[in-house]
Formats: sequence, C-alpha cells, structure tokens
Amino acid sequence: MLRRLLGMIPTLAVISVLVFIVIQLPEGDIVTSTLDRLSATGVEMSDDRIRNLRAQYNLDQPLPVQYLSWIGNFITGDMGFSYLYARPVNELVWERLGYTLLVTVGALLFTWLLALPIGIYSAVRQYSVADYAFTTAGLIGLATPNFLIALILMYLGYTWFGLSFGGLFSPEFLNAPWSWARFVDLLAHLWIPVIVIGTSGMAVTMRLMRANLLDELRKPYVTTARAKGVPPLKLLLKYPVRIAINPFISTIGLLLPALISGEAIVGVVLNLPTTGPLLVQSLITQDMYLAGSLIMLLSVLTVTGMLLSDLLLAWVDPRIRYE
Amino acid sequence: MDTMLEHELPRCSGAGLCLILAFGAVSSLSANAAEPDWPQAWFEPARTASQLGIDSFSQSPLLEGQGLPPVERRLPDDPVVVVPLESVGVYGGTARIIADDRTMFISPEGLFTISPDHKTILPNLAESWTYSEGGRRLTVRLRRGLKWSDGQPMSADDVLFAVNDLQLNSGFMPVTLPDFIGLKLHAVDPWTLVFDFPEPDPFFVNYVAQSPELFLMPKHYFRDFHPDYATAEEIDARMEEMGFSSWSAFMMTSMQMRLFPDLVNQPTLRAFQIESLTPDLYTYSRNPYYFKIDPDGRQLPYIDAVEAQDVRENEVAVAKASTGQLDFAGVRLPTQDIPLLKLGERNSGIKVNIWNRLHGSDLSIQANMNYADERKRALFNDVRLRRALSMAINRDEMNEIIYFGRGTPRQVTVIPESDYFEPEFATAWARYDVDAANALLDEIGLVDIDGDGMRELPDGERLTLTVEYVDTETPKQVSMELVTSYWNAVGIDARQRLIDRELQYSRAIAGELEMTVWHADRTTDILFPINPDFWAPRKLAASLAMWSEWSRWYLTGGDLGEEPPPDIRRLQLWADELATTMDPERRVELGKRILAANAENVWTIGTVGLAPQPVVTSNRLRNVVASGLWGWDTRYTMAYHPATWYLDQ
Repeated sequence: MLRRLLGMIPTLAVISVLVFIVIQLPEGDIVTSTLDRLSATGVEMSDDRIRNLRAQYNLDQPLPVQYLSWIGNFITGDMGFSYLYARPVNELVWERLGYTLLVTVGALLFTWLLALPIGIYSAVRQYSVADYAFTTAGLIGLATPNFLIALILMYLGYTWFGLSFGGLFSPEFLNAPWSWARFVDLLAHLWIPVIVIGTSGMAVTMRLMRANLLDELRKPYVTTARAKGVPPLKLLLKYPVRIAINPFISTIGLLLPALISGEAIVGVVLNLPTTGPLLVQSLITQDMYLAGSLIMLLSVLTVTGMLLSDLLLAWVDPRIRYE
Repeated sequence: MDTMLEHELPRCSGAGLCLILAFGAVSSLSANAAEPDWPQAWFEPARTASQLGIDSFSQSPLLEGQGLPPVERRLPDDPVVVVPLESVGVYGGTARIIADDRTMFISPEGLFTISPDHKTILPNLAESWTYSEGGRRLTVRLRRGLKWSDGQPMSADDVLFAVNDLQLNSGFMPVTLPDFIGLKLHAVDPWTLVFDFPEPDPFFVNYVAQSPELFLMPKHYFRDFHPDYATAEEIDARMEEMGFSSWSAFMMTSMQMRLFPDLVNQPTLRAFQIESLTPDLYTYSRNPYYFKIDPDGRQLPYIDAVEAQDVRENEVAVAKASTGQLDFAGVRLPTQDIPLLKLGERNSGIKVNIWNRLHGSDLSIQANMNYADERKRALFNDVRLRRALSMAINRDEMNEIIYFGRGTPRQVTVIPESDYFEPEFATAWARYDVDAANALLDEIGLVDIDGDGMRELPDGERLTLTVEYVDTETPKQVSMELVTSYWNAVGIDARQRLIDRELQYSRAIAGELEMTVWHADRTTDILFPINPDFWAPRKLAASLAMWSEWSRWYLTGGDLGEEPPPDIRRLQLWADELATTMDPERRVELGKRILAANAENVWTIGTVGLAPQPVVTSNRLRNVVASGLWGWDTRYTMAYHPATWYLDQ
C-alpha cells in the first residue's frame, strides 16, 4: 500500500517533465497565438505590441528555470497564472469543477442505468431480436461523432422544447441566484450533454457486460444452482452479475481524470461551463501554465483514480488480494 | 492587355504631376453619397447641449434611487448630443449578444472618433484640435467635466499617464511603437494637451481615433500599480493578491483587455461597464457617467444592460442568431451562412443586414519576390507572370460561387469611397482572359515541353507553384480551390497547403514562403495613409510575405535585407512622404502613385473584395444602420453610434 503510494511520486515527476516539454514543442507561444485569437474576434494587433507582450510575460527565460518555477508552485497548490484569461488557474478550475462533476457523473449514471440492464438482458437472451437491436443501436451511438449528436440534439431541443442553444441554463437564469425554477431550468438543459456523453460509452459498457456475463453463465456453479432450483432472477443477480460487474468497478477510478478532460469536445460544442473546453482552449493558445497545470492535474487524478479503483475492487471482490 | 493603365503609366512613372493628369481631377465623392438617410449630424463634429439649447436632462428610470448624484452633475459641463438614426429611443431592456461581438456593441470612446464617411476624423472626448503650421505640433482641447464610470474626473492627466508613463516608458515598453517614436507630450492645463512630433504627423489624429485605448488610461485607478506612484512593497502586495507576476504584466494585460470592456472594477468611458464575469456570461450595465445625450436631453445609452454569452463555435453562434436568440450578431457569422440566416428571417423575428467588409480583397495572393530559389525569384519578379496569373482567375465566377454575387471582383486596393481610389486600380489586369494569360506565359518561355498539359521551366523541369497559407478570417480555402483550378487550366501546376499560424508568422518574416495568401485591409482613408503596408515594403509581418527582404532593408537603414530595385524603392519614398506631407493635394497624388504602381505591376493579386458580411439584428433592436462598412480600420460600428441603439419592447 505504502509502496504503491510512494511509487506514484517518480511517475508523476516524469510526467511533469514530459508535460512541460510537450507544451513547449510547437512553434510559437501564448503571445503569437494571442494574435490569432484577437484577429478571430476582429481585433488586430501590430507586431510591435506583440513583442512587448512577450517581454512582459518573461517568456524569454531559459526553459529549466520556467519549469522549476512552475512545478514548484504546482506542488504548493498554486497552479499558476493564465495569460489567456488574465486570472489565476486555481480560480478558473474551481468555478468550473462543480458543473463538470454534475455532467460527468450524470453521464456515467445514464450509461450504467441503461447499458448494464441491457447488457444483462442481451446475455441472457443471446442472439434474440432484442439483442441484435440493442447492439446495433449501441454501435451506432459509438460510431457517431459526439459533436454531431450534440448539434442534432441542440436542434431538436430548440425545435421541440424551445431550449436555447448550448450552455446549461437559459439566458435568463445564467446569472440568477439558485431557486427551484433555476434548478428545473438546469435539468431541462442537462439532459443534452448527459445523453451525448453517455451514448459514447453505451456500446462499450453494454458489450462488455454481455461478454462478461456470458462467460459466467456458462460456468458449472450456475448450472449447479439451476439444478438445485434457485429462482432464475435471484440466481442471476446474486452470483454471475456480481462477478461480471467487477471490471466496471475498476473503471470508476477513470472517472477522476474524466472530470478534467472527459467532455472536452462536447463541452466546446455545447458551450458548457466545464473544464474540458478550458483544456482545449489552453492547448490551442499555448497558455503554458493553464495547459500544463490542467494536464498535470489530469495525471495526478489518473494515478490516484487507479489506486482508488484497485482498493475498491479488492474490497468488493474478496478473491483479489495485494501482497 | 491593352488597358488604359498600360498605355498611360509607363510614360508618366515617377514624373510628378502627370499622373494626376492621367487620372483626371481629384475625385470629389460627396461625403454621404452611399447612405443618404443617415443623419447629417453624423458627418459633422457633434453639437453640444448648449449649442442646441438643451438645458434639462433626464436619465434611465433604472438609475433612480441608486444614491447617485443628479444626472446633470454626472454629465460633463456641456454634454455631447448624438442624433439617432431613426428616432429617439426608449430606456430599458437587456440586449443579448455573444461575447465576441461585445466591442461592436459597446464601441470604444477616445479623444477623437471616425465619421461614417470613413475618412473624416471628428471630435469626441476632445472638443477640438489644431495642428501648427508645418504639422509638428498638435494641440488638443478636452471637454470639461468628463467623468470615468466610477465618477472620478477624466482629464489631461489620464492621457499623460497612458503616453508618458506607459507607452514612452522604456522599462515598460522595450520596443516603442512606431507611432510613438520621438513623440513628446505635455499638458498646458488640465484640459489642454500638446503633442510634439519629430516629423510632421498629420495622420496622428487618425491613429488616436482608430486606437483610442493606447492614449487613455484612468490614472486614478492605475497609479496604485505603477512604480512611479506607488512603493515596491505596495505593488508587490497588490500583485500577490491579484495573481500577476509583475506590475508590468498586469498593466500590459489591462491594456490588452481594455480593447474589450472587460476588466471588472476598472473604470471606463464606454457606454457600458462590466458588472460580472462567469465562465459563460459577461454582464454589462449602463455607465451612469456616460457623456452623451440624445436630442431630447436624455442620457445615453438607451439600453440598461448587455448580456454577452461566451460562444466558442461559429455553428452555435449562427444557430443562435438565426433562431432569434440574439439582438445583435456579426463577427462570428460567416459569409457562407447568409442563406441559413435568411431562413431564420421568415419566422424568428430577426433581420439579416448585409454590410460590406472593408477588405479591399478577401485574398491577397502573394508571390515571394525575394525567394531564395533563383529560378522562382526571377519568375516572380517578372510582371508578365503576375499579370498572367491574375488574368487566369475568373473573379465573376468566384463572386457567384462564394459570395452569392454580392461581393466585388477586384484587385488589392483601397475602397471606392477613398480619396486615393481610381476605378482602374480595382480592375487592372483583373479581366478574366485565358488567351491573354496563355500568351503571356508562352512569352516568358514557360511552355509545355513534354506534352502533359502542364508548363515546364525553360530547362525542362516541371513548373510547380506551392501556395502555403492559413485559412483564417476570410474564406481563403474555398477561394484557393478555385484559384488553383483556374491556374491549372492555363497549364500552371499550382498546389496549396494549409499551414499553422505560427509557421506562417515566422516563415513570412524570414522570407521563406514561396507563395502565400492573406487578406487586405488598411483600405480606408483612416489607415491607408499611415500604413500602406500592402502596397509599399516598409514592414515585416505575417501578412506581407511578398517582399520581406526589401522591407528589412528599409527597416534597418540598409544594414540587412536587400536593396530594392528603383521601382520598389520609390514606393517606400512615396509612402514616407505621404505620411508626413501637410499638402492635401500632394497627399492624394502620392497615394494614387503608390496604388497606380501596384495596379500596373500586380505585386499582389486580388480576387473579390468588399465582401458581404451578415449582421443580424432582432426586430426589437432599433436605430442600427441597414448597411455599413465592417472592419478594423473603422472599429466596426464606431461611426454608427451603438449608444443610440434601443430595444423596442
């Protein structure tokens, strides 16, 4: 246990160096990309003003110095300063984390609540018409790009329910204090990102559940239990399903990194106030501290998440033990 | 081939006034010929309350009971009166826009402003200005009693701070901006500023009007962050609190952010001040100290608040605009989506106004005349090749396919309303003539030797032209698809490649791009006389890849780069004189010489300009012009008075 914890440190140290190098690799920096960003919004800056900007941002310091000052602050909980937003990275992340959690967990519950029962049904009624139908639907969901589903649902949401495009709130509730009406408005918008993000994982979960369960159903203990007259439903849920579900518990750990990056592209299209678009934007504009800190955070969460998954699995499945 | 230009110009080139004779008298377009229904007052210095006999003032009901001083004490001593387009408006309402349109909806306020004739500079925060004889001294008189949005007085100090303590402070600005070099500024009294220039600078007022943010910072707010006014410990503590690495980083960011009315707590002079900033919404409220009123003595703006949603995808912006979810939208609406927006006009309660982008041409196709490869360089320096490439392009077809026939096929030149414009500049070598193009290419010695339909260089190697560019701002990629097909049709093997913006930037400046594409703005009389960059090599930029070494030679006083040939050198000299001469006739003559030389030599190739720009307004938003000029030169909407727009509830 302790060994595993200590093992995380060198892993993260190597990741931090890699992250820093990868961010520095593309030509240009936040300053040159500022040109691009401003011109996209109709503002043009002369090259001289750009040169001044670069000097002010201390981008001419040697890379090791930039690295050490960045990672030093990161360890103490200061994720640095975003040039792009002209605000501390900590603030930017915190104000988005709540909504990110909501969307990610919502999507996961949506996936599981639909995909697991369907997976179980498909396994029990293997090669039935319903099995084929669910599989086809799931694969279509997997094969359709997320952003396309997002655009279609936004359009349907508007034409059927008069929902505003994008975001988690109608314009009139964007800045309103929390109230019952605002909560209802949130729910009215939340289903779009939840469905969009949820459908992408649907097919995989469904097929995985089906395959795991099929393996279990063929085992002798199932036959024995059946022969002894255990009621079919009780038998199914109590033994094979419990075992077939183990792999999903090990993926709970992956939820943590998904908090940062999971809904990036969908978040951009749907205009969600979440961290995904922040990450995309920071990488495009080469906003060094914002991008570096987000990816570093992502790495820390991935490593921690894997650890949590392992512990959880050991707790759920007594057969698994670590020396 | 036998345009009037070709016959007239060679005899005249460089020979003084004969050019003017060739083109006839200086054109005298009436100021508001384009839009006769715009108020005449827009074209003249704004009148004030005392001149119009307005002596009682009123305010938005929203401001009642907020504990503010009475409206007549918040307004300046003699408020500026703005005449609305259709009618005076009603107070109230919240306008819905997307964040990228906020500088269009909440336009900048500077010492001067720009007339909708797109050439005349008008007073704004300043009430008047005078140039000395010789043009080396500019005296500016500010209006009295102007106030920032926090109620603090605005005075000459704020200009002195922005110019002397920031722009001319070498600790803060290691590279002085070109227009500030040698500038000296002092104040005679709190309302009178005196600018002294090393050379006559008649267009300095244009620069101040177009980039007002550079000349105005609220000193009472920023002095607490400036080492000349606060101790190092105080500044460090404040920076620690705000999360900035240094005072200069904070100040630089603020100056950049002031391009948008965005920094919470910072005082502004615009019609709206920012109230709050969340990840997806910018909220603005009316500035209770705004200095303009309507003809009824009511303080502007009419609208109480603006909510700007942060929309990141063009598709979403278009969808919102076409379904009536926005009161105003423009900058994120692509030309190609006009039909889609028009569909929304039927049942979404919106109007799709077609403005014109001020780009002289949406594409400026550039062949690098300083390219390292000797054969290509010789070719690109041959005017016959450039003319042939230009005449091979079917601009009318491009206009139909890409712009629904609403653009203007033309070369890279200034807008028709410009004092420097002649119709020939736009049409020279722009006729679609495949035979003439083929004849010119044959004449150069580019013939199809191996019979595969594509031309070879005289030494037998296949001629391949590679155009590398960034697909940004104007529809470049779809245009280049057509252009390369036109060139293939005359036997030129042209290929295109999209490259990264960063790569374009560094390679253009280093002169390493063989051919590239940019768009051509700086086409109005506001910026063309100061920066005729597309027509004379005086600058290194991502947008100017056709003559980087000649520009480098100019910029380094001959130390680096290559000495330009005489016909290029004279462009630089003309442009220098254009920026400094005080004689208006000489000015027009020089500007036309530069443009005529470009028209004749086709140093860059244009396609279609003055392209349609959709500007969507909701049916409840009033007083917005139906058609205007859209672009950076004139700061988009500045001349059309967004403070007078109102919501008809």
